[in-house]
Amino acid sequence: MLRKKECVAMLLAGGQGSRLGILTRHTAKPALPFGGKYRIIDFPVSNCTNSGIDVVGVLTQYRPLELNAYIGNGAPWDLDLNNGGIFVLPPYSTGKQGEWYKGTANSIYQNIEFIEQYNPEYVLVLSGDHIYKMDYAAMLASHIERGAAVTIAVRQVPWAETDRFGIMNTDENGFITEFEEKPKNAKSNNASMGVYMFTWDLMKKYLQADEADPLSSKDFGKNIIPKMLAADEKLVAYKFSGYWKDVGTIESLWEANMDLLEVTPPIDMHDTSWRIYARNVGMPPHYVGAKGTVTNSLISEGGVVEGDVVSSVLSGGVQVDEGARVIDSVLMPGAHIRSGAVITRAIIGENSVVGEKAIVGEKAGDIAVVGNNTHVSAGEKVAAGVQVGE
Amino acid sequence: MKTSIVGLIYTGEQYERLECLTRVRSVAALPVLGRYRMIDFMLSGMVNSGIRNVGIILQKNYQSLLDQLGSGKEWDLHGKRGGMTLLPPFAGQRNASNYEGLLDALKSNLSFLRRSQERYIAVTDSNILYSLDFEDVFKQHLECNADISLVYTKEREARRNGVGRYLGVGEDHIVTHLEIDPSIPRYENTYIGVFLIRRELLIDLVDRATSQRFHHFTRELLARVLANGEYRVCGYEYTQRSWLIDSVAAYYKANMDALDPEVRRMLFNPERPIWTKLRDEMPTRYAAGAKVCNSLVADGCVIEGTVEDSVIFRGVTVAPGASVRGCIIMQDAIISRNAELENCILDKLTTVREDKRLVAPSTFPIVVGKNLVI
Repeated sequence: MLRKKECVAMLLAGGQGSRLGILTRHTAKPALPFGGKYRIIDFPVSNCTNSGIDVVGVLTQYRPLELNAYIGNGAPWDLDLNNGGIFVLPPYSTGKQGEWYKGTANSIYQNIEFIEQYNPEYVLVLSGDHIYKMDYAAMLASHIERGAAVTIAVRQVPWAETDRFGIMNTDENGFITEFEEKPKNAKSNNASMGVYMFTWDLMKKYLQADEADPLSSKDFGKNIIPKMLAADEKLVAYKFSGYWKDVGTIESLWEANMDLLEVTPPIDMHDTSWRIYARNVGMPPHYVGAKGTVTNSLISEGGVVEGDVVSSVLSGGVQVDEGARVIDSVLMPGAHIRSGAVITRAIIGENSVVGEKAIVGEKAGDIAVVGNNTHVSAGEKVAAGVQVGE
Repeated sequence: MKTSIVGLIYTGEQYERLECLTRVRSVAALPVLGRYRMIDFMLSGMVNSGIRNVGIILQKNYQSLLDQLGSGKEWDLHGKRGGMTLLPPFAGQRNASNYEGLLDALKSNLSFLRRSQERYIAVTDSNILYSLDFEDVFKQHLECNADISLVYTKEREARRNGVGRYLGVGEDHIVTHLEIDPSIPRYENTYIGVFLIRRELLIDLVDRATSQRFHHFTRELLARVLANGEYRVCGYEYTQRSWLIDSVAAYYKANMDALDPEVRRMLFNPERPIWTKLRDEMPTRYAAGAKVCNSLVADGCVIEGTVEDSVIFRGVTVAPGASVRGCIIMQDAIISRNAELENCILDKLTTVREDKRLVAPSTFPIVVGKNLVI
């Protein structure tokens, strides 16, 4: 028996993230690079570390290799522990049975044994596609104080966008009275952030009942939450007002990167009391050459800039050759922009090469994307909104 | 694969000419090239050569070094089989707590030498910046059937009048002469303080030399070994560039040389990465008005002013209107608005206030000590 933990976090990292197109064709969404030196998963996992939660189960299913290698032994997040730590939890077979995770709820159901090793009071369910800094300990304190069965973190979103989110309608005391998935005419603009704090014994009961229901699609939003509402459980909305960005689409991933370039970024990454930790690859400082210029940009270690970089985010080991121009773009680790190439409003994938005088993206229109390990030939043109690569 | 070499890094030497840079730390802990300390290059070089067991002899002022090394995890030296062994001074009846030289240090740490399992030992000084492949040294050591292999460089910049150790090397790499601190060196081969030897032989030599009350490894032990001709002493020529960091000028030059892409290609070969302690800083932010040219910049900086021909360490702030030219700015320094710096070395956590000017000739860089406010 392992030592008891008050709260165990379960991170849903099994989805493909198909709205990210070519970027997630070969890797799981939480493993996507972000902000020059992070991966998306660094945010929820660092939040756990900073909140004092030291058991994190990562539920993987879709193309997990890069994610597994990245998580490793959990040392970057101080989660290489004897009692606790970070665990990659793929679906597994149990004798004659065994199957893929059928839905978010089913993936937790299949790991009841994992959770019970720690005999927790509470289970925190997280997703791997948001950029935010949040104190889960404060949320847990509220959960306990309100005596909730589940506390759901909500954030106000613009009314025009309510049809993209799960909307929580509450009474004057913050108790959730109704849940609407992507409503056409929303009654409130409190969107679920995909962060749920459950009281474990109740959660287990609902997971088991849901599993036995042949009509259920085994999903938290579609099945578990509505069933708990129907049974008059105490569902509490926990308001969060800090920066929170869904990076599930090309557009929003690009925007979240650009947010870091504001004079006062809406998310403070310099804050030493709430660091976002990342696995570091150990590269030398970046170098800006005699002819290179850099303005309003983020540049990470290992890069070499001989060209012009304007309002862009450059990850580790990126090369921008003399005469190349990178504007309003995101370059993922190891990307190489050859001389004379012009990159505008684009995302360039890991270790991709953009040949001489190639043109990727346009000043207006949708974001252009070059996938990972892709070679854009010299002189080639990739128009706005186009995705190239395997 | 198991290796037959144990590594030993000696960090005891003091260098007057590094001035206040080494007053607060040993030369091994001296910050270099934007995000490293000197010892990172020795440790990474050993690890990249397959060495899995490294002892580090500590002397005075070793807090900075302990802080840097931690458990040795960054160099994968935190295992159960071998790993990193810190050897702080231990004043006992037979140990000198204050080492006069490497020989004293070896004598005090004989138990580490005895306890190690490897047949050979590679010993390095810590004032040299290199990317040495110890496997190459080992290969030549075996080919030459050497008892001791001394690593040297022919680089002109490693020669100094009045100081240094120089080797006469004859046929088959045999070392014929050793010159110590000559007013004008006769030989072009500068010994860089790295040698390889059979572990049992080193123990034996140290025992014999200390019984004669010797303190200095090169001056006394090595000189006598060469004079007796009892052992086969060979020279291994390190042909890549190396930097002997024994003065402020040498320190300044080594950092500035790293602005040359050829030098970086050599020191930062992706197949032989230099590992160092991590700080989890975000990438460096350049503001709209930033001007940067021919500079190395580490993570976590905020650059709003001008930076030219400089090496900028982690977490440095260069405010709008400030200009930094030909400088080495260490970790977490703050250069305030409209300050102007030329050819300066700013130690960690220094602050330069608004409108202050600090201009030195490139041949005599100004050093601003740790924590100072100007």
